[in-house]
Amino acid sequence: MDFLALLVSTGLVSGAAYGLIAMGFALIYKSTGVVNFAQGELVMLTAYVSFSLANALGLSFIPLLIVTIPIAMAIGLALERLIIRPMLGEPVFSIVMATVGLAVILRGIVVLIWGSEPLNFPAGLPTKVISIVGVPFYPAQLCLLGALALVTFCAWLFLRFTRLGMAMRAVAANETAALLMGVSVDRIHAAAWMLSAAIAAIAGMLFAINFKLAPDMWFQGLKSFPAVILGGLDSVIGASLAGLIIGVIENLAQGYLGEGMREIAGFVVIIVVLMVRPYGLFGSVDIERV
Amino acid sequence: MKIATSVLAAALLSATAAWAGDPGVSDTEIKIGDVNIMTGPAAFVGRGVSLGSKIAAAEINAAGGINGRKIKILTEDDGYIPSRSFQALTKLLDEDGIFALNGTSGTANVLAMMPLITENNLPTVVTTAPSALIYKPVRPSVFTFGASYSDAFYAQLKYIHDHSEPNNPVYGVIRQDDDFGQEVEAGYERAVKEFGVKDGIRLRFKKGTSNFAAEMAQMKQAGVNVLANGGIFAGAANILSEARKLDMNLQSADVWSEGIPASAKLAAPAGYDYTVGDYVALSGPAVEKFLAMAKAFTTADELAGVSRYTFVTYVGLKSLAHAMRECGKELTRACTIEKLRQTKNLDTGGLSAPVSYDNPQQLAGTEVAVYQLHAKDVTFHELVGFKKY
Amino acid sequence: MRTGHYKESVGGLIALSDSKAVWAWTVVLLAALVAAPFLVGAYSLTLMVSALIAVIGAVGLNLLTGTTGLISLGQAGFLAVGAYTNAILLTDYHMPVWVGLPAAGIAGALVSIVVGIPSLRLKGLYLAITTLAFAFIINHIILYAEHVTHGPNGVFVTGAKLFGFGLQRGPALYYLALTLAVATIFAALNLLRTRVGRAWIAIRDHDIAARVMGIDLVRYKLLAFVVSSFIVAVAGALLSLQIRFVNIDVFALILSIEALAIIILGGLGSVAGAVLGAVFLSYLPEAIRLVLSAVIDPASPLYANYVYEIRGIANGLVIVLFLRFKPDGLIGFWRDARKYWSNWPLAY
Repeated sequence: MDFLALLVSTGLVSGAAYGLIAMGFALIYKSTGVVNFAQGELVMLTAYVSFSLANALGLSFIPLLIVTIPIAMAIGLALERLIIRPMLGEPVFSIVMATVGLAVILRGIVVLIWGSEPLNFPAGLPTKVISIVGVPFYPAQLCLLGALALVTFCAWLFLRFTRLGMAMRAVAANETAALLMGVSVDRIHAAAWMLSAAIAAIAGMLFAINFKLAPDMWFQGLKSFPAVILGGLDSVIGASLAGLIIGVIENLAQGYLGEGMREIAGFVVIIVVLMVRPYGLFGSVDIERV
Repeated sequence: MKIATSVLAAALLSATAAWAGDPGVSDTEIKIGDVNIMTGPAAFVGRGVSLGSKIAAAEINAAGGINGRKIKILTEDDGYIPSRSFQALTKLLDEDGIFALNGTSGTANVLAMMPLITENNLPTVVTTAPSALIYKPVRPSVFTFGASYSDAFYAQLKYIHDHSEPNNPVYGVIRQDDDFGQEVEAGYERAVKEFGVKDGIRLRFKKGTSNFAAEMAQMKQAGVNVLANGGIFAGAANILSEARKLDMNLQSADVWSEGIPASAKLAAPAGYDYTVGDYVALSGPAVEKFLAMAKAFTTADELAGVSRYTFVTYVGLKSLAHAMRECGKELTRACTIEKLRQTKNLDTGGLSAPVSYDNPQQLAGTEVAVYQLHAKDVTFHELVGFKKY
Repeated sequence: MRTGHYKESVGGLIALSDSKAVWAWTVVLLAALVAAPFLVGAYSLTLMVSALIAVIGAVGLNLLTGTTGLISLGQAGFLAVGAYTNAILLTDYHMPVWVGLPAAGIAGALVSIVVGIPSLRLKGLYLAITTLAFAFIINHIILYAEHVTHGPNGVFVTGAKLFGFGLQRGPALYYLALTLAVATIFAALNLLRTRVGRAWIAIRDHDIAARVMGIDLVRYKLLAFVVSSFIVAVAGALLSLQIRFVNIDVFALILSIEALAIIILGGLGSVAGAVLGAVFLSYLPEAIRLVLSAVIDPASPLYANYVYEIRGIANGLVIVLFLRFKPDGLIGFWRDARKYWSNWPLAY
């Protein structure tokens, strides 16, 4: 029982990391139809930026978050304007490849500026272990879970009740119709990237605090793909839930089956689920007309 | 595009004039190659390695070179990918015409380059990957310096067994799922069999894992209190951090990668005074002397990157240079290999045990010293000096 | 200046090219390639072999992704399957190389059926990620099936001989790669002109309409997987011959993404595009290296400390700029040039 509780609790923590990164993917895909292969690198870049800010300004956790998010949004906006905007109208494939190229550039920039050594990033969070119902947690891990819950709730509110959110859903459903209705598609794309970068900043900071701050953090982006797919590529809330599911399943597989099953458990799960539901658990079905 | 490149290559080939005799040797210089990890997540390891070659070459050149010839180091990147090591060495041999090979990266990388090394009878000193796969079978021109991971772990576990074993010892090992991990487990197995202690659990993880929650939960369940920690860098730190979270009272024997300042800084917050076994010195007068000497040849930034990876290549190049010097003016690969074979008790100023390649496996530096980290002030202290295990 | 087509026989209609000039230039190119080992040094030759292997892999992937529209991120897995099959057969079972290469292809084809079946219902990115998942799983299986694949220790590839020539050195390997590349290109070009090729193009353009017109989706999609994986696995086997030591580190997932970049940069959907993209991306790192060492003084500390990062960034920058200004890919340059030439002095 203890063992199971440990596995589930730590699975939720790593799942929360997957979920946050997956939400970034889903948000951009929902609004622009582009899979941003540079999301993992964006997470890494914003984590390093907040690391530098923490060292330069000596901030504790919440102020650091408040300072990092606007900077991350600025980075997201800059990337969208520089790379994606000029390619409006080109086949989606080309834009996706451009994000791949962008990923390579960001990786190089991170090593250029911060070197290749792994770094320690406590970010002013206490390191004393907290015990909840007999299960030990680090405060940083609780922050990660809390952040996922908060961001998911905010995303739901945003998409459901704010004008910008509804405009995003309109653009996702039918871009031309949205344009005809007076929605500035151009602004929506920019907003999608900015918000996705903000989520990436939160994901990056918390991942770096919990696991590591090193130039191979971008691999987490690839590892979050199962969460994105399971939840459905264009469902932001679905991505968050799917992240938790994948995290728990991975841990259970590793704990009870061993043999490195954690690495492939997520991928096996999505293959199985996709055979039954080809658009993920919460994704919207593409209706094709002949 | 192809024509342009081939014309350029032809021009380059004719520019690097190969003098009569072996490539890489002219009247004024000797070219030594390095194939290191200069890009990718392990780049800081490769930078440290590359620094060792550079410092050794600078020191030798400042003292007049080798019989009047200066050493020139040519570095190529392989990003820790074996196929790129092969390509890099092809370039070093065909285009740059190196005389010998000093810095290398991992075991798989050296093995990938082996066909080229044996074909060209290239004098090679392997210092960063002293795995049995390299010297069993022994290749005529390859000289290995270093102890195996297996010996390093056995040495540490022996120290723990002799000095600080808990009352109900339960040993456990967690290691990577590759040849490096196999060697860690081999050392663990040897220790556990010899001491007759309880073998709690043996776990494997995939390279690059950062989430060890499941593994450490299993360790806790098994009641492990002496851990052979086969994780490296951030992985090892995460293992210890998970252990601290689960409030495990354990002693940890770590890989020598945890002896570099960056790793110690990552792992120290968990509060465990782990041990490290290494075939080069981590602290003490030899290290101080080295740093003082290196100051003249490096920038402040580079000096901060000096670590045990620097020491191993430094020793490697010094042993290579020693053999080359013995050959005098007639410097050939065959002569260098002969002189390397005859190397006995070459002093390295305390950075390692004396270097002797005069054995069938052409293997030196198998003596391991054990150090312990003081987590409070992140410094290493010697527990046991260089000894054979 | 060509103003139209006039054919008098079926043979003329289905010929690969009706222009004598095209055939003449092709012969010249082939002659130059055959003469290459006598003109360039050993290092350049290994670069050319790498480029040829990339060409074979790109043509294979193009049949799947460019022609049939099934996006696949699992190429690294099929490369690994091909390379390991060849390596194990050559080294552990001492088979000759003319058994090893086809066997590698067949192994890749069989694995692709396993990959293809769950993927039949999937579209677009879902399909891409599923293939990525399979590549992960293949890597995992190779690592853990130690008694067959030597697990993490990798496999040395030695003793490949054909007609007494050692196939893993210099010119012999180059000619083998060249032969296979030319054969693959011709096979692909011909396949695209048959019923199968047209069925694939129909599936890409609108698969429901294709089904309505009587094209069996399951059969043709699986066929696309099988043919493409056969070719990619053969490329993997060639790769194992060249680098002489395989282990899973060589087949990192990044290869799949690079493969996709090759065919997109070259121009999606055309065999010529795949070839151009493969050659371009194979030589890009060398070109960047030459440009950088000409622009920045190699002895400066800036160069020594940062050159590798700068090269990496330059690589990504070239890809992004290319896609920004020429989303058609490299083949777009050729098409533009052709249009310009045949339409001049008119604009269109």
